[in-house]
This record gives sequence, structure tokens and C-alpha cells, in this order.
Amino acid sequence: MRAEESMPAGYCTLDHDGCVTCSDAGIPVRVISLEGHDALCEDAAGNRAEIAVELVAPVHTGEVLLTHGGVAIGRLKPET
Amino acid sequence: MKYVDEFRNGEIARAVAAQIASLTDPDRHYKLMEVCGGHTHTIYRHGIKDLLPDQVELVHGPGCPVCVLPMGRVDEGITIAERPEVIFTCFGDMMRVPGSRGNLLEVKAEGADIRMVYSPLDALRIARENPDREVVFYAIGFETTAPSTALTLQRAKKEGIENFSVFCNHVTIVPPVRALLDSPDLRLDAFIGPGHVSTVIGCRPYEFMSEDYGKPCVVAGFEPLDLLQSILMLMRQLDEGRCEVENQYGRVVLWEGNVQALKSMAEVFELRPYFEWRGLGFIAQSALKLSPAYADFDAELRYSTPGVRVADPKACQCGEVLKGVLKPHECKVFGTACTPERPLGALMVSSEGACAAYYNFGRKSFEKVEIGSKG
Repeated sequence: MRAEESMPAGYCTLDHDGCVTCSDAGIPVRVISLEGHDALCEDAAGNRAEIAVELVAPVHTGEVLLTHGGVAIGRLKPET
Repeated sequence: MKYVDEFRNGEIARAVAAQIASLTDPDRHYKLMEVCGGHTHTIYRHGIKDLLPDQVELVHGPGCPVCVLPMGRVDEGITIAERPEVIFTCFGDMMRVPGSRGNLLEVKAEGADIRMVYSPLDALRIARENPDREVVFYAIGFETTAPSTALTLQRAKKEGIENFSVFCNHVTIVPPVRALLDSPDLRLDAFIGPGHVSTVIGCRPYEFMSEDYGKPCVVAGFEPLDLLQSILMLMRQLDEGRCEVENQYGRVVLWEGNVQALKSMAEVFELRPYFEWRGLGFIAQSALKLSPAYADFDAELRYSTPGVRVADPKACQCGEVLKGVLKPHECKVFGTACTPERPLGALMVSSEGACAAYYNFGRKSFEKVEIGSKG
């Protein structure tokens, strides 16, 4: 299943994140795999990137994180 | 509200807009400030302004860090970038911000080694790969971006990377909002709070708005329906005479913020006694510098930057636009001497800048208003 079919709506994607200097470019990504403090993540458009996750640790695969500048700064609550 | 379509559903948007209209007193003028540049972008990109009653005015706030950066800080970055031993790294939008003698893109064309990065961690990687060069990262941004710089510096320190430093221009959101509230130029009714800054700092820092100034604040997400719902929540507060901080963006923002990110920032940064903001002047404790524990990574100390002050071009009215006193199209050089292709002021540079948003998405709206007003 592609990430876009299961992810909450996002304002940005990894290949188009608006103005990264701005405080508002938060990108929701789903954790695909973990290696130490970094996670391979995928955005709603299917783009993948390595994201630092220690600021939201502990992190599990399948979770949706909010990232900014290559670092996860929050997590999206699971839909109920 | 799980998918993009649901956050952008026109039928729901019109229903929310109708509720906003029903709460609008026809004899009252409402001034709501969206603090954040991302909200400004969404408002114009999706035509939200056109869904609101004429009595509800959205005022654009200072929430674009590129736009509030004074020219002197751009010039100092350029001075560091011109050093032959330096690889200078920055986010893409920073490349085109005009200093008093050009921008980073022009300096790069003249031969300086300036590289665009998407993350400060990319800058650290470049430092690892180039041990014989000095790598400097131009750090800029509010509390959303500051944790990524903090984390990068923590990793650099842990790894003992000595050829990496940061030119720190991080700013904080609460002091300029307080300065705006103290400004006699501007009378605001309520605030749309910045969603992703709040992911880090939480909602509690905004309580002064309601407690000290009697202004409601709703922390908002970035989809069109997020913004409309936030405006509705503010209008309900104003209608009922309530004055609170509310969180519309609960799917991401926790009331207490991201405690781990705040701890990381507290270790790496400390508040500057004051910092200059374009259009707002010097504001006490409104910016961050590296703490003594990270002084070895501080580019300002490593390169002894002199702290130059440079006045904005006389024709530029970014200051008035930043304070919400002027609308972007009311600036005398908007769309003529100042365009996204050749920006005179920073508000036209960043895609989140109020002038660029107006230029790209909003012109039809104000042309319609002006034509209408003539009739």
C-alpha cells in the first residue's frame, strides 16, 4: 500500500516543501525502517528520505512523523 | 478529515464560511492576524479571503524568518561565504535574499563555494566529507527549525567534528507578537497561531495574548479547512466574549509541545539580549545564539563578525507590511521595482513572504476590490 493511501493530509511533500526556512514547512512522513537515530521515511507522494528521529524517540515503523529540515519534530496522532 | 480531499472539500469550506458569516456583526470590523507565513501562503493560494465577509480582514504577521532578517545579517553571511577556506551552506530561499551589495547567489556566481542544503545535517555531512575545508551553516528560522540546528550541533559535538560551525540567526515567535501587540500602529482582534512552531513550543506560550492583552488565539493547521475552522473558532470566541488559547491543530500539536526538542534547544542555545527585526526594530530576547558549551561551533566567534547594521532601501516598505499597517499591494514598489524575479525587499523573496503570496495568488482579489470600490 502506498503511503498516500494511508497517510493523513500534509501541506508539503519531501520534493516540494515550500519555503524550508519558514517555520511552517512541516512534512508528514511514514516510517518505513529504522537504523539507530535515523529512519527511512516516505511522504504522501512516495518520496523517500533519511530523517533524524531522536527528538521524537521512541519511534516505531508505520508511525507518521512531522518533519522539518530533515529532522522529525512531532508525530501525527493516529486516526480513530 | 483524513485525506487531502477532505481537508480541501469545497462544500465543507462553503458551509464553514457560512457559519463565519452568521457570526459576523455587519457593523463591526474584525482584524485577525495570521502570524505565520505558511498561513499567508495558504490563504492566497486557496482563495480563502474571498470566502470571508468583507468585515473580516486578515492581517499578515511577521512569521517568515527570511522576511524579518535585517540586511546587515545577510551581509555578514556573505562576508563569511567569501572566505576561500569556507564552504558556505544555507537553505534555498536564503540564496536570493538581498543584502546591501548583492545576494548569496551572485557571490556564488563570482566563485564563492556556496551550497544549498535541505537540512543542517546535510551541512554536517559536507563537513565530514571535506575535513580540509571549513563548513559554515547559515541557520535561520523560528522554533520549528531551531531543533534541527540543535540536533545537528549535538551530533557534531559528539562526533568531534571541528571544521563545522553555525552562523545563528534563529528567532523566537512570542517577542515579536508581543511587540506588535504593544505597537500603537495596529489594533488587532485575534490571532491565528503558528501550527508548526507550536509543534515544538506547544500552546502555553500564547497564554499571554489572552491573559495580558485580552486577545483570543487559535493554533491552526495549514490546509484550507484548518484555516477556515480556526477563523470560525476565533469568531465564536469574539461573538461569545470569550478570550482563550485554543488548539485547532490537535492532530499534531500537543499543549506542552515537544519536550525533547525543547531540551535539545535549551542545551545548545541561549537567548540574545536583543536582535534586530526588519520593520520591527530591536526586540529584547527575541533570538537565539549558541550557548557557551557550543561556542567552538559559533561562526560569529570563529570569524569575528562585526555586527553591521544596514538600512533598508528607502523605497522598500517591508516594515509597514510586516507590521500589517500596509497591505503588500499598497507598497509603492510592489509589482514594479519589486517582483519575485527581482526582489527589492525580503517579503518578495520567500514563497511564504506576504508580498510574494500576493503577487502570485492575490492580485485578482485586490484588483476586484479596487474595481468594485470605484463603482
